[in-house]
Amino acid sequence: MIDFNGLDKTLIILVIIIFAIGLLCLYSASYNKSIELTRSFVLRQASWMLIGCFILLVFLIIDYQKIIDLGYVMYAIGLLALFLVILFGHTKLGAQRWVSIAGFNIQPSEFNKIIYIIVMAAYLGHTRARLLNIRGLLVPIILTIPPFALILAQPDLGTALILAPIFFSMLFIAGGQVKHLLALGVCGIASSPIFWHLLKGYQKKRLLVFLNPNADPLGAGYTIIQSKIAIGSGGLFGKGWLAGTQNQLNFLPERHTDFIFSVVGEEWGFFGALALIGLYFILLKRALVIIERTTDIYGKLLGTGIVTMLAFQVFVNIAMTIGLMPVVGIPLPFISYGGSSLWTTLIAVALLLNVGMRRTRF
Amino acid sequence: MKIKFISALISILFAILVAGLGYTQILRHKKYLVLSQNNRIRLVSIEGQRGRIYDRNSTLLVGNTPSFDVFVIPQELERSVDTLSRLAQMLGILPQEVFDAVQKNYTAPFAHILIKEDIIKEKVLMLEEARLCGVMVKVRPRREYKFKETASHALGYLGEIDRGELERLKGYGYQIKDFVGKTGVEKNYDTYLRGEQGGVQLEVDNRGFAVRSLGTKEGAQGRDLTLTIDIRLQEFIENLFFNKGGAVVVMGAATGEVFALVSKPDFDPNVFLRKERKVEVSGLLTRPDRPMFNRAISGLYPAGSVFKPIVAAAGLERKHINSGTSFSCAGRYNLGENIFECWDNKGHGPQDVRHALKNSCNVFFYQLGRAAGVDDIALFASRFGYGVPCGIDLAEEASGLVPNRLWKRLVKKEAWFEGDTVNLSIGQGYLLVTPIQVARMMAVFANGGSLVQPYVVKNIGGVDIITGRCKNTGISKGTLDVVKNGLWSVVNDETGTGRRAKAEGLSISGKTGTAQSPKGQNHAWFSGFSPSDEPKIVVTVFIEHGGKGGLEAAEIAGKIFAEAGRRGLL
Repeated sequence: MIDFNGLDKTLIILVIIIFAIGLLCLYSASYNKSIELTRSFVLRQASWMLIGCFILLVFLIIDYQKIIDLGYVMYAIGLLALFLVILFGHTKLGAQRWVSIAGFNIQPSEFNKIIYIIVMAAYLGHTRARLLNIRGLLVPIILTIPPFALILAQPDLGTALILAPIFFSMLFIAGGQVKHLLALGVCGIASSPIFWHLLKGYQKKRLLVFLNPNADPLGAGYTIIQSKIAIGSGGLFGKGWLAGTQNQLNFLPERHTDFIFSVVGEEWGFFGALALIGLYFILLKRALVIIERTTDIYGKLLGTGIVTMLAFQVFVNIAMTIGLMPVVGIPLPFISYGGSSLWTTLIAVALLLNVGMRRTRF
Repeated sequence: MKIKFISALISILFAILVAGLGYTQILRHKKYLVLSQNNRIRLVSIEGQRGRIYDRNSTLLVGNTPSFDVFVIPQELERSVDTLSRLAQMLGILPQEVFDAVQKNYTAPFAHILIKEDIIKEKVLMLEEARLCGVMVKVRPRREYKFKETASHALGYLGEIDRGELERLKGYGYQIKDFVGKTGVEKNYDTYLRGEQGGVQLEVDNRGFAVRSLGTKEGAQGRDLTLTIDIRLQEFIENLFFNKGGAVVVMGAATGEVFALVSKPDFDPNVFLRKERKVEVSGLLTRPDRPMFNRAISGLYPAGSVFKPIVAAAGLERKHINSGTSFSCAGRYNLGENIFECWDNKGHGPQDVRHALKNSCNVFFYQLGRAAGVDDIALFASRFGYGVPCGIDLAEEASGLVPNRLWKRLVKKEAWFEGDTVNLSIGQGYLLVTPIQVARMMAVFANGGSLVQPYVVKNIGGVDIITGRCKNTGISKGTLDVVKNGLWSVVNDETGTGRRAKAEGLSISGKTGTAQSPKGQNHAWFSGFSPSDEPKIVVTVFIEHGGKGGLEAAEIAGKIFAEAGRRGLL
């Protein structure tokens, strides 16, 4: 029998609260039916949550060690899925990110984030003594390049870039030398002009607009300007649920997915936004406690990757809605509409709980 | 240890987020709040009804009638072109016209576009029954000039505000596409007549489509005006003119209130309010006989003999002559080598000032004029109100011209010659006057020495206003009586030049004038007052190329006096 005594219930409650907030925002974002969105967004998101609970249970029941053992298999499947996207994927907003499987539109790049964390944990946990040498970084880099390149080629700059902090934090925990990592980081930044040429036109535009949103106020800059107006006009207490004019009158593009935080900021104000950020913060701190308590290096690595991923997504998503970061398509965990994103974060939580639940065995 | 490092890093990132949110939502809240309001709120103005205009007997002259106008609301229009084609068919116009109207006048999805003005009631019913999506019939008040051409110059007309006016009036709530008074009372009293602008606040979505109305402020009606004009008298006078050009001023002798202000040819102000009558408008604006031109206050003409009472007054007042002083007329007057003729070359013989006025004898006035000198004549002309606008409450009034030595030196670069004085003595030469100035001059004799300020509006929104201020000219009663005596003889003497002005049962005094026109036939003048002993009204008639003032002009004046008597103005 599986022992659920070590299960971190606080973490589960936090996820439920954040998800509930997300549903309320989604309801508000799709409230005005005269505008493109329909209310079924809430229903669909809720049903994905139900399915997601089963997935979570699966990833909770199976020992995470076994999951890590399957890391390379999943890695292969993940890369295959990314290939399929490039070959057959649907195109939305100029990017091929979705494949249809059994009637569902699935976004493999989302799942590849968690697969990447698992495979890195598998490799680094096994061979961390080699990391003292700079050549030890070679295999992790080789593991990183295929998913990174394939995701970037979709193109999905945001998701591809998430792999970088995960890579560095996991190597850091695994025992990589700080000077090596720094050198690698500098190399990465130095080679960014090459990536600039690989970027699609709209991505270049977004980065330029980040530097000056008013350069193209009706085009690429429109989203960020409207988002800042929404959040700023919310003030301390917000305009009230279902009463955000920027939201209800459709001035906010992408408000049910990447820009859902703008709805929070406009309708719930500074205090509401602060509360949501606080919830994320507590969640991450709980996760860090789990990592700290576990003695197993695989568990530590897995947990570190997941915490990094979640923290990075929360930070970049919110920062871009207030203009602190360029607009890259990164969803807000548990809140942005989308099944693949929701399931990926639920798997992440399941793995965290899994690590926390089983630490006593070692 | 390493976990602590990552934990600290996460804390820093979240602190950045909180700081960023605080900056956006607290420090810059006001700015973004304004921007969000600007995003969603649009103001659509509603014109308040313009004030009505009544004549002195409360007859409605200018009102507002409901006009059924067809509008299209782009946002409610179904995507297909079908609606517009059907609309065109029902209105009986080409579909292309409708498409063009929509395309040209599109400003915002919620802004109504005018397709056709003033459709008939049957078509309104038809459209209502058809229930075309995005098509609506709105009832708008449209200005209506009930008497059409009658008093058109005094009333004026409306037109779309032009750039200069907008620039000047922007601060007073005037907006682009507003209709404003262009001439007459409509222009001078525009700020009173103008309705207070109301508006609807609309909430719009990102495409500019109206979502709901946030509030409506009804426009307030403008203030009504009551004029001093008697529209029946005005109509009567205009009918006397047939198709001649000219002007008539009928004015209170002591008050300056204008009972009739006629300028012919005239125009129908209704034309300017209809898009489909554009052709007529351009016709009015370009016709060589200038129907838009208000001859009564803007037309500049030589005064001719109606100027003679001033020369007489100057002579008497300055003691160059007295009532018994005679000059002899042999039908002509020699000045050096120049010969100035009297209008009657048989000559009038010796005569005093009364007879000279009665006969309108040029030779008498040549001699009197020379005796008085240009300085005194010019001085008295100014005292009688010539050379300056009379201050009537209508725009575009002309000043006229009283020549003198200095003027001739500055403008003509020549010295003043005695011949100029001779010409000035009979109201010819450089002298230019407007019909209303002549009326005002005649009023000075009539009322015993006051220079009145003519006005046409006597009541604004129920409040009586006093616009006419009188100024004492300081002319002595003796002088005025002598001249008045002469003016009485003009009409009432068997041989008086203005005897045709006589009207039964009325005592009338006056002066005729025949002014040489630079081209064509002479202009005819008659200016007089009645009753002769206690004058109530002054009538000035001017007929362009009307020949001798003693003929038609005097006749018309007599009919006007008679009509004014019937209408109780005497």
